[in-house]
Amino acid sequence: MCRLLLILVLASWQAFPWAGESIAVVAAAGSRLDKLSLDTVKLIFKRKSMVNAYGDRWIPVNLPPAHPLRRLFSLAVFDALPEDMEEYWNEQYFQGINPPEVLSSEEAVLRFVAATPAAIGYVRQAQADARVKILLRIPSTGDLGEPP
Amino acid sequence: MLARLLLFLLSVLVLSAARAEPGGDGSSYQLGRGLAVGDTGIRFGGYASVEAGAPSPGPWEFSVSDLSLFTTWTDHAHWRFFSETEVGEALTAGGNQGFSTRNAHFELERLYIDRLFDDLFSLRFGKFLTPVGRWNLLHASPLTWTTTRPVATYDLFSKHATGLMLHGGFPVLDRHMDYAFYADLTEDLDPYRSADPFDNALGSHWLYSLADNLELGLSYVNYQLHDDPSHRFNLVGVEGAWFYRRFELNTEWVYRNGGLQGLYQGFVQGVAPLVSHWYAIGRYEYFDQVQQPAGQLGVFGLAFRPVPPLVWKVEYRIGSHNEISAPDGLYGSFAVLF
Repeated sequence: MCRLLLILVLASWQAFPWAGESIAVVAAAGSRLDKLSLDTVKLIFKRKSMVNAYGDRWIPVNLPPAHPLRRLFSLAVFDALPEDMEEYWNEQYFQGINPPEVLSSEEAVLRFVAATPAAIGYVRQAQADARVKILLRIPSTGDLGEPP
Repeated sequence: MLARLLLFLLSVLVLSAARAEPGGDGSSYQLGRGLAVGDTGIRFGGYASVEAGAPSPGPWEFSVSDLSLFTTWTDHAHWRFFSETEVGEALTAGGNQGFSTRNAHFELERLYIDRLFDDLFSLRFGKFLTPVGRWNLLHASPLTWTTTRPVATYDLFSKHATGLMLHGGFPVLDRHMDYAFYADLTEDLDPYRSADPFDNALGSHWLYSLADNLELGLSYVNYQLHDDPSHRFNLVGVEGAWFYRRFELNTEWVYRNGGLQGLYQGFVQGVAPLVSHWYAIGRYEYFDQVQQPAGQLGVFGLAFRPVPPLVWKVEYRIGSHNEISAPDGLYGSFAVLF
């Protein structure tokens, strides 16, 4: 079912000018981290991993649930759409853990990540500029999780 | 007067719940996410539930069973605070009485602070839910599928512990393992003693994610109960949870020795989606009892969950040797996480 949704999202993705681009998981340009695995990104965005290898608290940021890139990211990383994660986040909320904060656009993600140590977000690869460092590329097709 | 005020607040809550939009996770208020206070790191939230039951034999009963308030705080670095305060049975009524607030009582469900060192080690101090099985850790009515709670999830151990917990997670064979070691040091730390508290306890809980939709867990706790200081108990528990699309299968089993006899208790519960937001629930329970033959239960229920933080439930429970622990009857509830 989720694979079918992924195909549908990818099909709708073709309507966008950035069709076929990879998703770039990014941190600040000065980050001491060089790369992350897909499993680590999954743990960070599920708030299962709270602290990075240097002892800093992760600050993951999401795009809005209806944003096409958020939906593709969610399917690629969690094999589930944002609305399918609601029960998970309700359970986490009961244990005092909240989902990543939401920023309205890729530019907002880039600005926040560039200015915030230990912040981590995702944008289209073509949007990732000198302000940020790419820690993981998630191809829109093919194998997932290939490090940069 | 208080009863009317509570009913008014509950009505406002229900109406707010009906209007709220699920699915987002921004910083403005959303049902099931609480309310963040600016950039202070403070967030308020909670849940409420209303229950009605018609046990057999016995008069019908109604209660605003839980009004819980969560307060969380984080410094966005290494400290995290969480508290859950609750007004239990804020409003009750039944076959033998009209609406009344005389059973209302305050409970401190949880109050702890976490120091995060890294993903492997975090230290918790305070009052927390005893990590035995999945149900006790996620027992809030909006998160469960039935109004009644399986006997195995509360009968043989204290639902809360007060003291220290070392917890964290690490990868094992490309999957994730969560663990907790905890010690209930003294009941003196908890001025609002919960029902049947530990006198002292040492325990551990391990939860392994075999797949994104399959979890297996193991619990162990050695303890003395405040109300039964003549015995020291050992309890071992196993748990499993499997999810596929909107289907669920959960099971928990515990074995306790150290008293007059060893006792087994457990349950298996299945959830299947029906049309739209309706679900069917079936549960089998088995529970050894100290002074009675082993009890068995079947629970058959329906749940309507229009959005994840909000649920209506109705179920019928029937069994054998269950008159004291979990009587037959029809039970229903409404719950919302806010």
